[in-house]
Amino acid sequence: MQDTLQTLVSGLSLGAVYALVAMGFSLVYRTMGLVNFAHADIAMIGAYAASTFYLTSHLPFAVAMGLAIVITGAIGLVIERVLRPLENKDFDLMLIGTIGFGIVLQALAIIIWGTTGRAVPSPLDSAPLDVLGIRIRTYDLLVMAVAALAVVALAFFLSRTKRGAAMQAVAMDHEAATAVGIDVGRSNALAFAIGAGLAALAGGLVGPMLYVDASLGGALGIKGFAAAMLGGFGSIHGAVVGGIAIGVLDSYAAGHFQGYSVLVTFLVFTIAIMIRPMGIFGERTVSRA
Amino acid sequence: MKSRLAATGVLVLAAWALPYGLGGYTVHVVNIALIYALLAIGMGLAMGVSGQINLAQVAFFGVGAYAVAILTTHYGHGFWFSALLAVLATVVVGLFVGVPALRMQSHYLGIVTLGLALGFINWITNADITGGADGISGIPVPALPGVDLSSEYLYYYLEALVFGLALLFGLFVVHTSLGRRLRAMRDDALAAGAMGAEIPFLRMTAFLLASLYGGLAGVLYAGLIRYVAPETFSIANMFILLAMVIIGGRRSLVGCVVGAIGLTMVREWLSDFSTYAQLGYGVVVVLMVVFAPTGLAGVPARLRTLYERRRRAQQSSRAELRPFIPYEVEDRSARDGVLLSVEGVTQQFRGLRALDEVTLTVRKGEIRGVVGPNGSGKTTLFNVISGFYRATAGTVGFAGSDTTTARPYTLSLAGLARTFQNLRLFGQLTVRENVLVALDRTRTHTIWQYALWQPGVLTRERRLRAQADDILRRYGLADFAEADPSSLPYGIQRRIEIARAMAARPRLLLLDEPAAGLNGGEVQQLIRIVRSIRDSGTTVILIEHNMGLVMSLCEKVTVLSSGRVIAEGTPQEVVSAPEVIEAYLGDSDLAELDLDTPPSAARPDRAKEATP
Repeated sequence: MQDTLQTLVSGLSLGAVYALVAMGFSLVYRTMGLVNFAHADIAMIGAYAASTFYLTSHLPFAVAMGLAIVITGAIGLVIERVLRPLENKDFDLMLIGTIGFGIVLQALAIIIWGTTGRAVPSPLDSAPLDVLGIRIRTYDLLVMAVAALAVVALAFFLSRTKRGAAMQAVAMDHEAATAVGIDVGRSNALAFAIGAGLAALAGGLVGPMLYVDASLGGALGIKGFAAAMLGGFGSIHGAVVGGIAIGVLDSYAAGHFQGYSVLVTFLVFTIAIMIRPMGIFGERTVSRA
Repeated sequence: MKSRLAATGVLVLAAWALPYGLGGYTVHVVNIALIYALLAIGMGLAMGVSGQINLAQVAFFGVGAYAVAILTTHYGHGFWFSALLAVLATVVVGLFVGVPALRMQSHYLGIVTLGLALGFINWITNADITGGADGISGIPVPALPGVDLSSEYLYYYLEALVFGLALLFGLFVVHTSLGRRLRAMRDDALAAGAMGAEIPFLRMTAFLLASLYGGLAGVLYAGLIRYVAPETFSIANMFILLAMVIIGGRRSLVGCVVGAIGLTMVREWLSDFSTYAQLGYGVVVVLMVVFAPTGLAGVPARLRTLYERRRRAQQSSRAELRPFIPYEVEDRSARDGVLLSVEGVTQQFRGLRALDEVTLTVRKGEIRGVVGPNGSGKTTLFNVISGFYRATAGTVGFAGSDTTTARPYTLSLAGLARTFQNLRLFGQLTVRENVLVALDRTRTHTIWQYALWQPGVLTRERRLRAQADDILRRYGLADFAEADPSSLPYGIQRRIEIARAMAARPRLLLLDEPAAGLNGGEVQQLIRIVRSIRDSGTTVILIEHNMGLVMSLCEKVTVLSSGRVIAEGTPQEVVSAPEVIEAYLGDSDLAELDLDTPPSAARPDRAKEATP
């Protein structure tokens, strides 16, 4: 029982990170129908940037994080601008285009930061809490809190602000949105920038939990995508639920199958998504034939 | 044709002579390039030709290579026997990875296949049998009497032979019945299903082909390097492979090969600057996707169009739509009995009841009109009849059997054909190929012929082509046989859709707003065509807003409103029924029902497109 709960707790904090990745991913998907395969690599750049500002420039962790978010937001804007001609046209091409950007970002990371990774020390050095015999690292609590805050802020933005509402309108029908005077291009750019910022947040937060190197994006991204799918593509709360589900699944698989955790996680994920392709909160059916 | 043969001859000779001019290391690079070219062909077949996003190709490669390694080193089997088993194992794995494609497409499929590939990498880096991160060394040299395959020069000939055959086979598949059906599925899976393409089998076939090529590449790799380790099958290499296919041109196998060989050479040449090279591929992929989505292979075609457009500006085009040649009239006595019976069909979409207890019986040899205001459920009814939607309640019977739950392709094979409100022609296929897809009634399971009796495929192909040309001539489309449908005027596209549907020789033809967007003359031609189709023995049901057409063509009209049948009878009876006037005009005013609604009133409505 204690073991199970302990696994659950570590799964939750990793799940919170996956949820952040999935949220950014979902936001971009719902507003512009773009599956951003570079999202994971944006998160990796975010992790590197945050760790550089934190370790090398000795800035406070929060400031380092903020700078990383700004940088990746700018990268997001560039990607959106370059791929804009394909928006709402060829889905598969856009997808491959973002894979191309992913390759570019990985190469850039290696050029800037080299091939050896780095370990980031936790910004909180207080001892782990002990709740009913379960050890909870304070940093894990911080991650969960930040993730929760981001969810609330994003939900507020989408439902209560004018720009957020415009974004929802674009998501529903981009032609109708143009007709009522919404600048679809700008709205998409903003969505992309926010998505990239969320990726950087995830990357920055995961830095002290995992080892930061150029392949971080691969590990983080594909699970983030899986989380978004499991929760239901384009659904924000789906992303949260999916992220936590994948985090917990991952952490149990690591506990029970050690080295084979990735294999087990993806087999379980594949079966789950076969049973319910639209995910938990998804509405549209996937297979169109 | 002759020049093509000559070019192939020159290429074969060049391939034969190639090793004589190269140093040992360069031959090694060429050998690697050929292996990547095989992988790229497999990827092109799945992604470019069949439209199945497959990001597990590198895992197929790995399964093939590791299977050979394990079978030879752990179990002591000979190389060739292991190679055979390895290819079989890869195909089995490929079919397993393809299963999700039955339920999901596009990016979903991309993520699932990528996830499974990651799972595979995870397994090989951890399992004992695969040697973990160290991999497996000591794979024996493939034994061939009289030939020492440990020499890279001689190995080159083995590879070149396998590669040549594999490329030929790939091209053979793409340009004949199976490939045409795969391409039709890529362009529009719904329409392909309605033309009788068995979509689930075709999707599995795409993965079968991809894994077959992956397995072959893996076997050759194991024999060449005689050492396998996880890093060869990494996700980074998967993306390089993707870059090869995109840069070369995913829709053309030759393009994929050019991309693979070119990029392997460039990669080798820039091996000292591998990170910058990676940056380069990424940038090129992005640029290709935005500016040249058809890749290098598409460049000649683009130049040709540019050139032709310029030439056409000077001389007027000779191609024209010729008159329709009517079918021979079939004996009327064969027309008896009920062909289609819809009973109490209800279709519920969440809160919306699109069809409400609709009952409809169509007798053989009828031309039935289905009319009703926009949103009254006409297209939904067609979608239920043709198997795109499964009715929430009620039954559909076609030609004497219950087809309520039948899939579109089953119905197509049973003799039902349809056209679509918004034109669903296969955009990347020529007009002739569009017709051929429907004309070809052989089933996907006959693909054994591709493996065992290729001449059979070719004979059938020749026969089908002749039939397709007959159909195109009948519909006056012969001049456009090689044209790209999307480049043709709307009226012609509409006619192609009818020709395509009729190529399937249906017993029942469903026409969804066939007159939408046609001018007066074209509507008159349409009336002649539909009459002749009926006289040839095919029953017709048509949805139409153009009341003039309905009045002059249909013997019986069914009127739908808000998902209910509100009137049925001869056109004259129906137009004077008070319920109909109310449905169309509201009850305020008994203004004369417009008997010749202009075609513009029958605008296509995207929301009603058949997308279940």
